[in-house]
Amino acid sequence: MSFLKLLARLRAFVFPSGVARAHTDLDDELQFHLERSIEVNQAAGMSPTEARRRALVDFGGVEGARAGAWRERPGWILETVAQDIRYAVRGFGRNPGFTFTVIATLALGIGTATAVFSVADRILFRALPYAHDDRLVSVGLVQSLERQEFAVGGFYYHWRDNQKPFEAFAAQGTMLHACALVENNPAQLNCITAEAGFLPLLGVAPVLGRNFLPEEDRPNGPQVALISWGLWRSRYGQDPGILSRTIDVDGSPVRVIGVLPKDFELPTLGVPDIMLPMARDEAKERNANPGGPMRAFARLRPGLSIAEAKAEMEPLFIHTRDSLIPAQIAKDFHLSIRSLRDRETKDAQLPAWVLLGAVLAVLLIACANVAGLMLARGLRQERELAVRAALGASRGRLIRQTLTEAALLSLAGAAVGLLLAVGLLRVFVALAPTGIPFLARAGLDLRIAGFTALLAIASGLFFGLAPALRQPRSLTTHTAGARRGALLRRSLVAGQIAISMVLLSGAALLLRSFQKMQEQSLGIDTQGVLTARIALPGFRYNTPQKKMEFYLRAEEAMRRLPGVRAVAYSDSLPPGGWHDEERFSGIRAEGKAAAAQGTGGSILTRGVTPDYFRALNIPIVRGRSFSEQDRSGSAYWVVLSRLAAARIFPGEEAVGKRIERVRDGLWLTVAGVAENAKNGGLTEPDLPEIYFLRRSVAQDWGGRAPVGEVMSGAAPLMVVDSTQPPASVAPWLRAQIAALDPTAPVETETLRMSVSKLADRPRFESALLGFFAICGLAMAAIGLYGVIAFMAARRTQEIGVRMALGAGRGDILRLIAGEGVRLIALGGALGLAGALAAAHLVKSLLYQVGPYDPAVYASVALLLGVVALAAALLPARAAMRVDPAAALRSE
Amino acid sequence: MTAQSSSASSSSDLLQGTLDLLILRTLALEPMHGWGIALRIQQLSKEVLQVGQGSLYPALHRLEYRGWIQAEWAPSENNRRAKFYSLTPTGRKQLEAEVANWDRMASAIALVLGREAEA
Repeated sequence: MSFLKLLARLRAFVFPSGVARAHTDLDDELQFHLERSIEVNQAAGMSPTEARRRALVDFGGVEGARAGAWRERPGWILETVAQDIRYAVRGFGRNPGFTFTVIATLALGIGTATAVFSVADRILFRALPYAHDDRLVSVGLVQSLERQEFAVGGFYYHWRDNQKPFEAFAAQGTMLHACALVENNPAQLNCITAEAGFLPLLGVAPVLGRNFLPEEDRPNGPQVALISWGLWRSRYGQDPGILSRTIDVDGSPVRVIGVLPKDFELPTLGVPDIMLPMARDEAKERNANPGGPMRAFARLRPGLSIAEAKAEMEPLFIHTRDSLIPAQIAKDFHLSIRSLRDRETKDAQLPAWVLLGAVLAVLLIACANVAGLMLARGLRQERELAVRAALGASRGRLIRQTLTEAALLSLAGAAVGLLLAVGLLRVFVALAPTGIPFLARAGLDLRIAGFTALLAIASGLFFGLAPALRQPRSLTTHTAGARRGALLRRSLVAGQIAISMVLLSGAALLLRSFQKMQEQSLGIDTQGVLTARIALPGFRYNTPQKKMEFYLRAEEAMRRLPGVRAVAYSDSLPPGGWHDEERFSGIRAEGKAAAAQGTGGSILTRGVTPDYFRALNIPIVRGRSFSEQDRSGSAYWVVLSRLAAARIFPGEEAVGKRIERVRDGLWLTVAGVAENAKNGGLTEPDLPEIYFLRRSVAQDWGGRAPVGEVMSGAAPLMVVDSTQPPASVAPWLRAQIAALDPTAPVETETLRMSVSKLADRPRFESALLGFFAICGLAMAAIGLYGVIAFMAARRTQEIGVRMALGAGRGDILRLIAGEGVRLIALGGALGLAGALAAAHLVKSLLYQVGPYDPAVYASVALLLGVVALAAALLPARAAMRVDPAAALRSE
Repeated sequence: MTAQSSSASSSSDLLQGTLDLLILRTLALEPMHGWGIALRIQQLSKEVLQVGQGSLYPALHRLEYRGWIQAEWAPSENNRRAKFYSLTPTGRKQLEAEVANWDRMASAIALVLGREAEA
């Protein structure tokens, strides 16, 4: 009786109350049966003790009857699952190191893979937001001054009418441009022009209203516009009555005929607020040379490849080129047809693949780690499993228990991994907001989270199940399976080391390249320099004269501020980003013949005011800088960079010489030569540079306020060099501009920040790869530690015997650590081979570091060797300290 | 934990379906507790059929979960609390079906053994 009560109590302790009551009922029922049996036996004349003994014997196994009855319950399976879970959790609690390592490993693998895939997805895989996106292409000319396809009227209409490979062909304006919505509350917006056929080409239909009609896409046609969803919502409260409204864009009334879809974006990646018909005069453009610029896109006929389309278009291209472009520079123009995806994200694709490869490597290491850990745990549990099997646990039950454990670990790992992924995405955005396209909009991708979780679970299950499936019958620990498992674990660890070697090498190359990039001299002083872009509302500053007056007044106001050393305007700034270029052949030195052939490459042009050189601390090496008097004078002065002077006047003194700008026959006199400043971006070679003086005459201040990609005649950037920290100058600057015109939006940025943004992508790549490499190395080290420690533990007895027979501690250390050294050497060598084989893939991401830089590989090998050796030596040292007597007595 | 019972099956153990039939038949007379059922089967079969508790209680629980019998706690003949099982309407129907089934099987087996079926 007390025996059954005790069992019931134990159960009540272990099981939740409802189940416990059911158990107690069953116990009472069986108890009643026993007692009746005892009564009958006593009635038959047995002593109480004997009666009880007989009754129990007659009954057979009490526990058997109880278990049998219990299993008949409908919820039995669920209860055993709950029981498995409780059992597993208790097991984890007994082994927190194992549990933590598995969950952390899984979380790292799942988290990093999910985060990076979420970023890379839009760049590499996800369909573009257009119909038939796989057949959309960007079609146009490329030349050394413009590497993105562009079209001009002289080419475009001829191509459109005579092409065969495309089922649709349409164009948009070259870029978003600032436009003003003139209403009670005027606003500066982004506008784009597009042909009537443009939205149908993309398969985009307005969510409200309709697309442009052909007659609206003609000069002097009805003035209409499509507005964005965002504008419709924020400004017109999603009023469907917008369709009959007339709005005032840049001073002319246009009728709203439709609303663009919510997530609409241009193939050039901008998001327009207002789309206007392009309304070109086709007849005039056809005969123009070159005609108005635009961006043309097309949809390939089904089944046609880009190469085939290009071959078909080539004769058309040659024809138009030869009839429109001067023979001297014709060779500089090429036909380019690229998939829309390449047009949008070409530059980011390689980094995206590299990062994907890196997380895949991390995931592999993580899976190998989990597999190794589960395998080791399985082997350690072999005895326990054997005992349980001997006590009658069915094979299915043991397998289910193992499955439960693996599933629990995986779920925990996946949950932590998802949290990690969310955090990582935030870090990515903070690291490099402009480094990778679409980064700011990247959301967590649950598909990939699920996939990586499954992969991790599968590897955990596969290796976790192995011991349970073998169902050992014997209670000995040293089975053949253990030896097989050991081989498997060794290969896993060697593989982990090899993969981390590859990861480390890639990361080291990128880090070294990034370091070189940061260390290089830019030729400018960014200290204390603040830049400001003032977007003057075009409808009020509608003449160059008005703009100039504003800019000159702003300059004067800034000069009066304390601590301001220099205030200048320039249309662009080094060391990278947008700038204007000319063909080198477009500049000719006086008395010299034009180059006979080719364009001679590019020469960078910048329109600046005299303070520019002082503001950026660019030394004038010969001659003089522009002076304040030059601004109001009538002479045309230029300053050449040292490189430009050497190219235009090789071996001669440039100062005082005259050069001609071929396109308009303008003659300019060289005032001086300035030191070279980095100007082609952080990683590109320097271009020769020519500084034009931006004089105080209206014609030098034309141009519209630029948005996104900018073109010639851009609005000037204000450059302020101050002894005060730029952060405190920025509010003063805003206040000064606001005093002149409170409606003019001002964007300020320190030059240091602009330079740092240029390094966004390399910083992003190297930081991520570095992080992944460290994760990989840490996991590989844990894996190595685990395998060595496990082997050392299994060989405790052997070590005891060896020591008893006279082996020294050094011998033991060699015995155990030697295993690790072999694995490190094998994995390291494999990894090095892999890294060298893969290095050329990242070549184009590297700056001033060769893909086979010996110093990089040597340091990586050293790092890996030291960390891995430490991981192997720790357990070896423990093995060395084994007390032979204790070791021999154990087991 | 719940080591599966490997209750030995002796030759006098009944086929599972048969045990269910016997339990239902026994309960058709009056509600009874497990001990009583075992005793009754033993007596009615003239000590030939020994119902092992290892099968009796699982069978009782199985039938209860199927809804053929129902149980309630009540004072027993020796004034102890005992779990009394009784037939439900579904169980009664099931009993008829099982009896008919048994008759068919028995006569079929008798035919195979070459004996005349006894009514």
